[in-house]
Amino acid sequence: MKRTSSKAEYWIVGALAVVGLIVLPSLNAFLPTTHPLHVTSFAMSVYGKYLCYAVLALGVNLLWGYTGLLSLGQGLFFSLGGYALGMHLMLKIGKLGQYKSDLPDFMVFLEFEKRFPDSGGLPPHWIPFKHFAFAAIMILVIPGFVAFVFGWLAFRSRIKGVYFSILSQALTYAATLMFFRNDFTFGGNNGLTDFKFILGYDINAPATKRVLFMASCLLLLAVYTLCRWLTSTRFGLIQRAIRDSENRVLFSGYATAHFKLLVFVLSAMICGLGGALFVPQVGIINPSEMAPDKSLEAVVWCAVGGRASLIGPIIGAIGVNALKSYATHAFAEQWPYFLGVLFIVVTLFLPEGVIGIPQKLRGWRRRLQGTLPSDPAAPTATPGSESTPKPAQSPTH
Amino acid sequence: MLSLEGVTKTFDGFKAINDLSFYVDEGELRVIIGPNGAGKSTMLDLITGRTRPDIGKIEFHGNTDLTALNEYQINRIGIGRKFQTPSVYTNHTVFENILLSLEGSRSVWHALFSRLSSTEQDRIQVVLETVGLNDKGAEKAGSLSHGQKQWLEIGMLLAQNPKLLLVDEPAAGMTDEETRKTGELLMSLAGKHTIVVIEHDMVFVRQIARTVTVLHQGGLLCEGTVDEVQSDDRVLEVYLGRKKREKS
Amino acid sequence: MIHRAPSRPLFWLFSQLNHPTPLGARRVITHFCWLTLLVWFASNEIATAATNEFRTRLHAAILSEDLSEQTRIIQSLIGSPDDSVQQILSSWRGGALYWLELNETKSPVVLDPQVDADGNAKAFRVLDGEIVKGSDGSTQLFSPTELTPVDTTSKLRKVIKDTLDLFSIGNPDPVVRRDAITKIGQARELSLVPHLEARLAIESIPEVQNALKEAIALTQTVNPDAEKRVAAIEQLGTMRSINSLSFLKQLLTPTKGQGATSPDAATLQATRKSVVEIENYMFWGNLFGTVFRGLSLSAVLLVAALGLAITFGLMGVINMAHGEVMMVGAYTAYVVQNLFIRWFGSTGLGFDCYFIAALFCSFIVGAMVGLALERGIIRFLYKRPLESLLATWGVSLVLQQIFRHIFGAANVQVSSPSWLSGSWVIQDVLLAYNRIFVIGIALAIVVGTWLLLTRTSIGLQIRAVMQNRAMASCIGVRTDRVNMMTFGFGSGLAGLAGACLSQIGNVGPSLGQNYIVDCFMVVVLGGVGNLPGTVSASFGVGITDQILQPWLGAVMGKITVLAAIILFLQWRPAGIFVTRSRSLEG
Repeated sequence: MKRTSSKAEYWIVGALAVVGLIVLPSLNAFLPTTHPLHVTSFAMSVYGKYLCYAVLALGVNLLWGYTGLLSLGQGLFFSLGGYALGMHLMLKIGKLGQYKSDLPDFMVFLEFEKRFPDSGGLPPHWIPFKHFAFAAIMILVIPGFVAFVFGWLAFRSRIKGVYFSILSQALTYAATLMFFRNDFTFGGNNGLTDFKFILGYDINAPATKRVLFMASCLLLLAVYTLCRWLTSTRFGLIQRAIRDSENRVLFSGYATAHFKLLVFVLSAMICGLGGALFVPQVGIINPSEMAPDKSLEAVVWCAVGGRASLIGPIIGAIGVNALKSYATHAFAEQWPYFLGVLFIVVTLFLPEGVIGIPQKLRGWRRRLQGTLPSDPAAPTATPGSESTPKPAQSPTH
Repeated sequence: MLSLEGVTKTFDGFKAINDLSFYVDEGELRVIIGPNGAGKSTMLDLITGRTRPDIGKIEFHGNTDLTALNEYQINRIGIGRKFQTPSVYTNHTVFENILLSLEGSRSVWHALFSRLSSTEQDRIQVVLETVGLNDKGAEKAGSLSHGQKQWLEIGMLLAQNPKLLLVDEPAAGMTDEETRKTGELLMSLAGKHTIVVIEHDMVFVRQIARTVTVLHQGGLLCEGTVDEVQSDDRVLEVYLGRKKREKS
Repeated sequence: MIHRAPSRPLFWLFSQLNHPTPLGARRVITHFCWLTLLVWFASNEIATAATNEFRTRLHAAILSEDLSEQTRIIQSLIGSPDDSVQQILSSWRGGALYWLELNETKSPVVLDPQVDADGNAKAFRVLDGEIVKGSDGSTQLFSPTELTPVDTTSKLRKVIKDTLDLFSIGNPDPVVRRDAITKIGQARELSLVPHLEARLAIESIPEVQNALKEAIALTQTVNPDAEKRVAAIEQLGTMRSINSLSFLKQLLTPTKGQGATSPDAATLQATRKSVVEIENYMFWGNLFGTVFRGLSLSAVLLVAALGLAITFGLMGVINMAHGEVMMVGAYTAYVVQNLFIRWFGSTGLGFDCYFIAALFCSFIVGAMVGLALERGIIRFLYKRPLESLLATWGVSLVLQQIFRHIFGAANVQVSSPSWLSGSWVIQDVLLAYNRIFVIGIALAIVVGTWLLLTRTSIGLQIRAVMQNRAMASCIGVRTDRVNMMTFGFGSGLAGLAGACLSQIGNVGPSLGQNYIVDCFMVVVLGGVGNLPGTVSASFGVGITDQILQPWLGAVMGKITVLAAIILFLQWRPAGIFVTRSRSLEG
């Protein structure tokens, strides 16, 4: 990380914090709804959603940008976190559901009373989710546990690179299929929705939405700080060393599998937290949020914003999603074209993402001015390319 | 100190190592030569746990069975390896490269919560001076020349302070001057460390070697001083036609 | 005249009309239909108009008041070549035979099912099939409500039904005959056994003979004579009669009511034995069928995964758009099919050839897409495999959307040519021809690829680049061209796989998505760029998937396969067959 860009980065993060924690909530709370600068509660939720996606992007980036593990399954952990909180929220609907039952609607509809007669229709693993504290712990534990098991198996057998990507995608695919099933007890196709209360507050009240937005902002800042700290430690050095030359790290005496496992689990937990805050703001969680495509989209955000930095994924996630919100209103049909082309263009021409543009421009300007491109840092290999120099065998015998 | 006994390793029916027995004593500087495909690098792979032998024993200090350990465990008991192609962390600075190789705890916990101590800093400085890179500490390793990368990797090996150093073609891609300096460095390390060097460059071999082991087709051909080896009929036969008498 | 359900070919024609076929073709079909209908109506008219001996007898039976006489006459009608006899009997049984009282005489008539706006219809006399005309010679119309139906008793209806059933055992079409016999057997009427035995004596077609034997044995299971009963049950067991399984099982469960005629020990024992025999037979049959379906799925998977394995093995590039190239191939088959329908109509030799043409076109189109992809995007990303994965995913998004735009989001219909529809029956297991064909194609492709890689100079170059790109480039291999051609070839295989898939699965814009994960799994499992590995992995994945599906359901089956693969990689991380490399970052 170059010093100059770090300075700019702190400014951006600072501005984000001020806008997110003070300006937007104030505009929402204190301005009359008729005022042109008033931020509606709906907009608060939408922005909150972007911030949650930014958390997801940071999770992806911690793995991909810093450790070289391109996981195509982070959307799974995001959704698992979402489901964990969603289950709690479902149980807090009470009798306000369509069927006026203590059970969540879909359980009534699917006749869970017959399936789980001992617990009055509620599947046993749902029972502890009545307590917020339990759900809050599960937001971290479930994604973490799944990541631990999968990561342990994958890293133990030295699955890496493209193989890891493919297997993580397969895991996500399998999980999505599971969650689509009604008898998997998580609402099947429709997922969990129609939430009413969170921690006793009306989930649709403007104040609640505002607080949720601010919480998302705080979470993002906290995760950013965590990542910044992590990457500055010796651990961060090892992380990037694994990305560039894993075997070298292994032969230096580090159990790379343990390091990767920790990063993987940590990233899964981060994603889970993002998902947990996503659910009350969007009001629904269903298996389509888990689909492999979503995980890939999160990777796009990182790529667009610029990986191997911490601010890039945040910019990418917010930018691409804002664009998507606009595009799906303005030209829904063409959005997949746009996303696809964006992806191709970014990978081909902007491997450093948006945050790499200033540097690129500087390079062009220098070339235009005719200065010799004597900058030694310019032609270095792109991070994560895993390109080792060509073997130089000496044919001296 | 290191012993290989009756080791055989087969790749898809091809015997890369064939019933090889090989011993190195404490503090020795041993050079291994042999034509391409003689199994030199495979032997290092076997010692460092990169591959496992089909049959045979590999022991360290007479009691540690290396075949039961994996790469990082083998490294932790004091066996360091420099690879044939220089493998350094190209996106890290030279300083960080050494820091990561520094002797000490390799645990995740330590990596998370330890801070750079002044003793560590001093030690890195010493290592950098030893390999002549003390003014390059803040540069990215990727921007070093090939020879400097070789040295950096040797420096990384030194920082680990291993009991046994396995050095694969340290002089490859170096100028004559650099080669000579590398030789001096390795000789100064002998005694304190046990060193096994694989090399093709006979000038370099002549400079550093006390005992030379010749491998051929996965087996031990002969062992002795440079002169003994060079006058050995079998060695001449193996190299004949493909090797002009030394580059001297 | 009496209307009857349209015969099979007509049904087929009508159902064809519901498919979206090009306008011209539809017009041709419609004309053809009308023509056929006319001919058919005319011939029927002639048949019904003829007076004959059978009709006279039937007429007598209707007029008779004595049940036993009626029974005798009706049973004597079996084997009548006149279709209308059968139809009149059926009307009689259904209460659609009416008395017409004209000039003090009662004569039975049937009404034409075609009624006018007031619900009135023409009437035909049973005796001679003549249309009932008024005194002025004009056709008279009747409403069913103003006529008295001919009386029937339940016994008579039974007799008529049995007779009608037996009518079909003399049907000239062996398939109709066989089905009728099977049905009679399931009715288990001991009184019908003599008729069946009589037919067995003159039946010449083995399949029908078998059906007759089965039906007789099945009927004999209710024979009060214990010895015959046991013999029949044992015979069913040795015949491995799947049709009788449920009846045999009924024998084993204690009957309620019916005066509790619980079967004797010998019968029970024989039944148990036979049930076990039949169930065993069915188990193996099912397993065989499942393995066969698995094989055909594996075959498609194999063709697709082979392309993926080659491109991945060669360049370390995972092409996420590989599934979309499959989709392109499948749609190519669809387009070719439509073109052939436009040129040659939807039947006949011309149309039947379409699939052969489609295979070629799919390969070519797939290869073109692959070449464009390689030239346009992938060649810039050889050093960044993870990123090429992302860029190709972008391509897959775009391709999917393009096809959704052109062909709509719904699945399109690719029909099998006539020589691929239908199936080959071995021991009660259906082996669909199109599946067999797909397996054959896959084997041919594997052999072809193997020959290409091992016996040609381009294959040698490909393998050289696979093993050591730098070295191959040094000795003068034009790696750039090899890359391009290999990628084109791999994508062409994907296109072929898509065409094959159009025969055994749905064709829609998301076709690629449904198979790509499986393809990846195969490549991971088989080991990179490894032909035998890919072959065994795809068969492993395909067959396991099909075997698990009936037990665990489609979803759990898939999940289990994925889990199994992940666990398998614990044991052999580099796949089934390991390719070793000596470089540090291998």
